[in-house]
Amino acid sequence: MAPLLEAISIGKTYPGGTVANDGVNLTIAAGEVHAVVGENGAGKSTLMKILFGIEQPDRGELRLDGKPVSFPTPRDAIDNGIGMVFQHFSLVPSFSVYENVVLGSEPRNGIKFDRQKAIEEVRALSEKFRLAVDPLPPVGQLPVGQQQRVEILKALYRNARILILDEPTAVLAPQEVEELFVAVRALVAQGRTVIFIAHKLPEVLAISDRITVMRAGKTVGSVNAKEVTEQSLATMMVGREIALRVDRAKGRGDLACEVKALKLTAESGAPIAEDLNLKVHQGEILGLVGVEGNGQAELLEAIAGLRAIADGVVYLNGDKLNPLSTLERRERGLASIPEDRIARGLATGATIAENLVATRLADKRYVRNGLLDLKAIKAQALKLIERYSIRAGGPGYPVGTLSGGNMQKVVVARELSEQPKLLLVNQPTRGVDLGATQFIWKSLTEARDGGAAVLLSSADLSELLALSDRLVVFYRGKIVAAFVNSDDLTAETLGTYMLGLSRQDPETMRAAFQ
Amino acid sequence: MIELLMTVFSATFFVTVIRTTTPLLFATLGGLISDLSGALNVALEGMMLISALTAVIVSVYAPWYVAVLSGICAGAMLGAIMAFFHLRMKADIILVGFAVNILATGGTVFALSQATGGDKGTSINLQSKAVPAVNLSFLDAIPLIGPTLRSLLSGHSILSWLALFMVFAVWYFLYRTPYGLWLRGVGEYPAAPEAAGINVTKVRAWSLVASGAFAGIGGAQLAMFNYIGFTRDMTAGRGFIALGAVLLGARHPVGAMLAALLFGIFEALAVVMPNLFNWIPGEMIQTIPFVVTVLALILFSYRAQRARQMRTLTKI
Repeated sequence: MAPLLEAISIGKTYPGGTVANDGVNLTIAAGEVHAVVGENGAGKSTLMKILFGIEQPDRGELRLDGKPVSFPTPRDAIDNGIGMVFQHFSLVPSFSVYENVVLGSEPRNGIKFDRQKAIEEVRALSEKFRLAVDPLPPVGQLPVGQQQRVEILKALYRNARILILDEPTAVLAPQEVEELFVAVRALVAQGRTVIFIAHKLPEVLAISDRITVMRAGKTVGSVNAKEVTEQSLATMMVGREIALRVDRAKGRGDLACEVKALKLTAESGAPIAEDLNLKVHQGEILGLVGVEGNGQAELLEAIAGLRAIADGVVYLNGDKLNPLSTLERRERGLASIPEDRIARGLATGATIAENLVATRLADKRYVRNGLLDLKAIKAQALKLIERYSIRAGGPGYPVGTLSGGNMQKVVVARELSEQPKLLLVNQPTRGVDLGATQFIWKSLTEARDGGAAVLLSSADLSELLALSDRLVVFYRGKIVAAFVNSDDLTAETLGTYMLGLSRQDPETMRAAFQ
Repeated sequence: MIELLMTVFSATFFVTVIRTTTPLLFATLGGLISDLSGALNVALEGMMLISALTAVIVSVYAPWYVAVLSGICAGAMLGAIMAFFHLRMKADIILVGFAVNILATGGTVFALSQATGGDKGTSINLQSKAVPAVNLSFLDAIPLIGPTLRSLLSGHSILSWLALFMVFAVWYFLYRTPYGLWLRGVGEYPAAPEAAGINVTKVRAWSLVASGAFAGIGGAQLAMFNYIGFTRDMTAGRGFIALGAVLLGARHPVGAMLAALLFGIFEALAVVMPNLFNWIPGEMIQTIPFVVTVLALILFSYRAQRARQMRTLTKI
């Protein structure tokens, strides 16, 4: 029997000369969950866009049920039973769930939009595929996980036999991931086929039947999920053995930063965090653990000078930071890698060189007599591009044209090009591929070994466990536990504190703070 | 003062309000459609002006309804031209809109002098026609309220009745048909309808054409009923007031009607007040509709801000 969908030696070169796909082969059997994994820039997204008719291949052919097909537009792919859920949802926020689902193929009654029928059809679909969503509320009010279900329903409403999910778990909380997997299994049980793009390997292994690995625009191979391990997959993806462990700090230096009885409030006056007490020493990484929204991000903002402090004091090397502006804090050796590189870390329209000196406009090396020294700026950019192996056309390219991992490297390069005394890091590797993750981790540990005190917050527990020397757990704006990192410390242990299920007594916490 | 109140509460004033509101309402509906599709039509003013002149000139040679139709066509064509430059040539819609406005100011004067044989101010020596008024004198037969009813409802332009119907028609289109759903989706988040296989550019282009057609019918009403004949710059900012009315009407057809009515009332006041208060300079009185527009928009945005704050507070 012919496979359901085949892509045979697909080639795609973008106008800029980037070879995105070069002889890619993909074979999807009916009724399977097929994961396509690879680093950012490996060509997964391009391949999916070709399958969905957004991009046209330069070479090669697509076969559906053994017959050659071509999709000049997404509409053609949809008509052939292919649906795609993008990472960025295409939903109209003020429209209700059912309006979004049927948009473009509305049930009609004369020229009238038959709302009743639309609602019924959406209800029936969501029951059939175990994608529980209320059809009536506006989509904009729903949590991300539910919005994703609406997207999946949209594809199913258009009779998608093959559903492409582009990094569906990147935006989801762990429980939501579990729910998504339940839905995916329900889909497969009812004869649909799912193509799953991802780069978080544990998830890939948990959900998929077969896995195709891509690297640098080529397919490395296809394997059965049961026959591989995380390590062997990672090796296939990167093409070399990668060490996902990092060396712990050799020892720590003097006290660098101290937070005393800090209180933070939202603009409305509602408390965000209360009675925060922290000490970070030179040469150590303190991990801030917690489900997002429990005060870790706000603490980092407050220390960086981006958020008002309601009460309490922050010291850096004995000086009070409270009255200082962000710029003055930076002059004292504070560096910050913010959570959202596009919104807060970079100016995406500006060039790489400009972004790399953006925090040093008071520095005589780059600005003389109020004028930019373009030569020095370019030289510095070339040096950093080399040192941080940023893959880019050159220092004059806009940062927005880089891949996520390379953008993040630009931020890291700017913040670490001069040894900081206090480094604030939030979600350093979100949406970043394995190779770049490894590189960023190495850069952080180098900064630590250079004597920086590092405060690290991350949604990825394995990242926190890999990098931190000590960890504190946030729950509802308070620190509920503190640990010295060791191999015995597990994500599960941290989890019980993160969810507020247990709480350390003050004695144990103080011991870990020493 | 008492004289003013007497005037305001008279049936004649009501008829004046309907007359001043009608062109505004058409333009507001036009602005609403293009705004909801995500293309702000700042050219309503110029579209009205060109349509007004077109209708006047055509009415010299053809029946009134042909003239009105030609006004609509002129507006729709301008909408299509805007769509071409904005959507195909990728020009900024505000700049394209202003180009239309500037073209209208200069072009109408030129065309007027060509048509009248040299008059650059008015079309007074052209035998242009008017849109007929709807005579409802049979209402007199109703006992008691008959005469009042007749004085309120009779004598409006046939286009005023059409405007009222259009408010309903636009509402039905936007909220009860699939195409209305497309249009609103395209305006709010174009990526969504695009992913659903809807041609976003096409939807925007048609909404600009419709927007122009509405502005065109408004221009025809202005030059064939409110005034008989064309005067240079006779739209006098109505197209811009209409843009304000779109926002003030909370981007909803019924709201748009109410907002247009509000501005219509103040314009009517500006019409009747000079007779009552001859010590106030007429120019001063004529600024009232514009001052009200500014005040209304400030009030509106202030209230919208408050509403947003209230929402975020209740969320926490």
